Amino acid sequence: MTSFLIRRLSLSVVLLFIISLISFFIVTLTPGSPYPWGELNPKISAEVKANFRKKFHLDRPLHEQYAFIMRDLFTGNLRSIKDDRPVMAKILERLPATLALNFTAILISLAFGTLLGVYAARHAGCWQDMAGSFLAFLFIALPGFWISYLLAIVLVKEFGVPILGTQSYGIEFPNAAAAELDRIWHLLIPATILALGGLAAQSRYLRATMIETLREDYIRTARAKGLAEEVILYKHALRNSIRPLVTGIGMLLPALISGSVIIESIFAYPGMGRLGYEAVLERDYPTIVALNFVVAALVLLGNLISDLLYAAVDPRVRLE
Amino acid sequence: MRTLRLFLYGVPAALILLLVAAFVNATYLSVAKKNEMSIGTLGEPSTLNPIQQADSASSQVGGLMFNGLLKYNQNLEVVGDLATKWELSQETTFQFATEEDADKALHSVNVHRSICPGTNTATLPKEAFWPITEIDRSGAKLLIHLGQPGLDDSQGIHELLLKEGLRPLPFPALEPGGKERPFLAEPIIRFTLRDGVRWHDGAPFTSADVSFTYRAIMDERVASPRRSDFELVSQLETPAPLQVIVRYKKPFSPALLSWMQAILPEHLLGQSEPSKWAELYNRKPVGTGPFKFGSWKTNEFIRLVKNPDYFLGSPWLDSVVFRVLPDPLTLQLAFQTKQVDFWNVDPWAVKSLEKDPRFDLFSSPGNMYNYIGWNLRRPLFQDLQVRRALAQAVNVPQMIKYIIYGRGVQSTGIFTPQMWFFDPSVKALPYDPAAARVLLDAAGWKVGPDGIRVKDGKRFTFTLLANNGNEVRRDIATLVQDDLKQVGIEVKVEIYEWAVLLKRFVNKGEFDAIVLGWGLGYDFDQYGIWHSSQTHPEELNFIGYSNPQVDHLLTDLRQEYGRPEIISIAARIQQAIYADQPYLFLFVPEGTSVMWKGSYRIRRPGPKPGEWIDSPVTMTKAGWSYDMEWFYRPEYAPKAQRQKAK
Repeated sequence: MTSFLIRRLSLSVVLLFIISLISFFIVTLTPGSPYPWGELNPKISAEVKANFRKKFHLDRPLHEQYAFIMRDLFTGNLRSIKDDRPVMAKILERLPATLALNFTAILISLAFGTLLGVYAARHAGCWQDMAGSFLAFLFIALPGFWISYLLAIVLVKEFGVPILGTQSYGIEFPNAAAAELDRIWHLLIPATILALGGLAAQSRYLRATMIETLREDYIRTARAKGLAEEVILYKHALRNSIRPLVTGIGMLLPALISGSVIIESIFAYPGMGRLGYEAVLERDYPTIVALNFVVAALVLLGNLISDLLYAAVDPRVRLE
Repeated sequence: MRTLRLFLYGVPAALILLLVAAFVNATYLSVAKKNEMSIGTLGEPSTLNPIQQADSASSQVGGLMFNGLLKYNQNLEVVGDLATKWELSQETTFQFATEEDADKALHSVNVHRSICPGTNTATLPKEAFWPITEIDRSGAKLLIHLGQPGLDDSQGIHELLLKEGLRPLPFPALEPGGKERPFLAEPIIRFTLRDGVRWHDGAPFTSADVSFTYRAIMDERVASPRRSDFELVSQLETPAPLQVIVRYKKPFSPALLSWMQAILPEHLLGQSEPSKWAELYNRKPVGTGPFKFGSWKTNEFIRLVKNPDYFLGSPWLDSVVFRVLPDPLTLQLAFQTKQVDFWNVDPWAVKSLEKDPRFDLFSSPGNMYNYIGWNLRRPLFQDLQVRRALAQAVNVPQMIKYIIYGRGVQSTGIFTPQMWFFDPSVKALPYDPAAARVLLDAAGWKVGPDGIRVKDGKRFTFTLLANNGNEVRRDIATLVQDDLKQVGIEVKVEIYEWAVLLKRFVNKGEFDAIVLGWGLGYDFDQYGIWHSSQTHPEELNFIGYSNPQVDHLLTDLRQEYGRPEIISIAARIQQAIYADQPYLFLFVPEGTSVMWKGSYRIRRPGPKPGEWIDSPVTMTKAGWSYDMEWFYRPEYAPKAQRQKAK
């Protein structure tokens, strides 16, 4: 176990280094430059531009720029080109909103994915299963931004409810509960849309393993013993089928973070996905590299946790 | 097993319940708005430090929190803001080899400017109008104070001295490698500051703040984008707390407008390193304006609260919130749920909204124009006849009709109709493909066997560039391609990402033709875009335009301080450049904003102290949102009335 952890962690460090290197070169080799005031601005003299490049080491060769960024990243002095603020502070202030959104999305996809998966497996081959499959493939196939716009237009045009940001603005809340529910409303809408893909995938995984499990000999034995169908389904079959869900959680995280880039922009939700998206548009190299680093670290951590969980739920798996 | 089932069904059920409750809550929430204005912005300000910003989102927010020494009034005339008075003058210095020469010079200037009373002014020589206020000799130097900055009068005096046989000694050049100067002409601006102005934290505003702002802009560690505005300042003195005297190295009239620059508080920033400003100040600034900084939640909102001690009086609104809504469609949805109070409408939507009685619409010609830049380094575009033919072959009115749904006017040159120095007498070249064909024939471009014109064995074909993501420019390129095909010119359209377009083509000046637009505010100085010295890589005269007459006028314009003179020179520049057709000037799109009908009115201070003028929100030369700090919501009007009475 310890040797496994040490091996995995050291591998993660190497991976992180490679990821940072790749992300740095991808963004710096992309055309464009990070002037916060645009390039075709007659008010900006060549001298001002040169001074600006010097301040952020942009006049140095690329490998030196990379070294500067990594040095500053680890000493905590890395500053955003856009607003001269410490990059880590910028990422950390987004973290609560991002975590709230992504954990809600994971919760929704697990809760409904499991329900849908069990339901489909129970009625395998019947019309309920077909309907479930259709729904699942629909959720996987539909682009998130399209559903978002559609939902947003319906909610606004038909019901006139505000949906943007993390709360309603410009109105007096009658009481604290209303304000809190308003916040939950603003969280649930993007989280639900974000969860749709994962929900569908989870339900498909679960349905497949569940159907497989239901064909096992011990299930037949249980039925022969005369156990109630409910007991067989939930106690015996489901427990033995949740392994794919556990691995799924580890894989959900990167998918959610990449998916949230678009959803966050549409719903004006202040998360990390939008920070990254805007940093790319502005060629804010330090922010992009630091953000990639943090997200990569989160994903590696997620994978590690899901491996550990896997070992915990399946006694046959040993971490060597 | 029970728990598992409970979990399996309970969690989804709870989530659904929560969603329903939240939805019901959202629909039932009171629509009673707070006394708060809500403005949606697509981009978030990078910083609220007015000397480190150059993006429109930042300046929109900053405009409510800060003041400059000067500002535009609603007719775009320069008026005082933190300054109550400003006087322009100039000190011209001639130096001589000996004191005797200087004395002689003093004498001859004095003789020439003395006029007998009662003379017919029409016959007077130019010298009689020199606005000399003071003339003095100090050592071997002759100091002449003029009431009006500029080079003309000083040059007149210089010519007079030369005629008298007096040779002033030259001064070294200003820039390395430049020409020696026969005399020093140093414009001076004397500002008298408004008394009793306080910063939001209560500290008094003084000339030390102005001086600090200037020093901060010039500080290399700040990397201020405003620096080029102040590079010609040679000295800034603050003889008294309410007096600022700025001396310039040479006449440069746009410098006056640079004092619209928002002023920073010296008492907060003077003692700290600029590298600390990001944490200390840039996200919680202190200004002198009608609104104070309230709170900033990144990527969500910036809230400003009213400054009851504002020097012109307390605003009527309790607060203003700027919401960051990065997606144009959701910005529209936010407007429809009254989450933001204004919305900048796309041209296609204007027609249907105009008929809708629920809305007030404000339209005005924008401050930008679209154009096609011909690369004048290419032989293809060097013939003026050809460029005029191209201009006449392109159907701009049709473009306006189909691309921007008629919401715009045809461009007639480098200035847009909203600018105070715009010359309306310049008329657009009419769409006339027949005339274009005649011009092309005359220029030697004859129609070849495949329908494309040929001259000396070369086909008339070129590549037109546009940037990805800008639908207007893409549509322009397509229509131009079609129009020019009708007169026998082949156009290939290529679309690139903005950064690629700049790096590979524009900055290097390596392209045939390009669709672009300029949005330049109210600045009359367009030296950087049109002067022939600005054609190097990464400079803005990327089409390689060069006209000695225009060069001369551009230089003159920068030295001219009088409003009528500026208007007259600017008109000549506009005429000359339009006649040269270095760009195909296309159109000036109209900007339209919409608000819910009657949701705001304006009560602004009148010309007399204590007087208030109440009016609906209307269009002014400076836009509908001019005086936004004096907007109020009619449902809170009694409060405004009470304040007025007080």
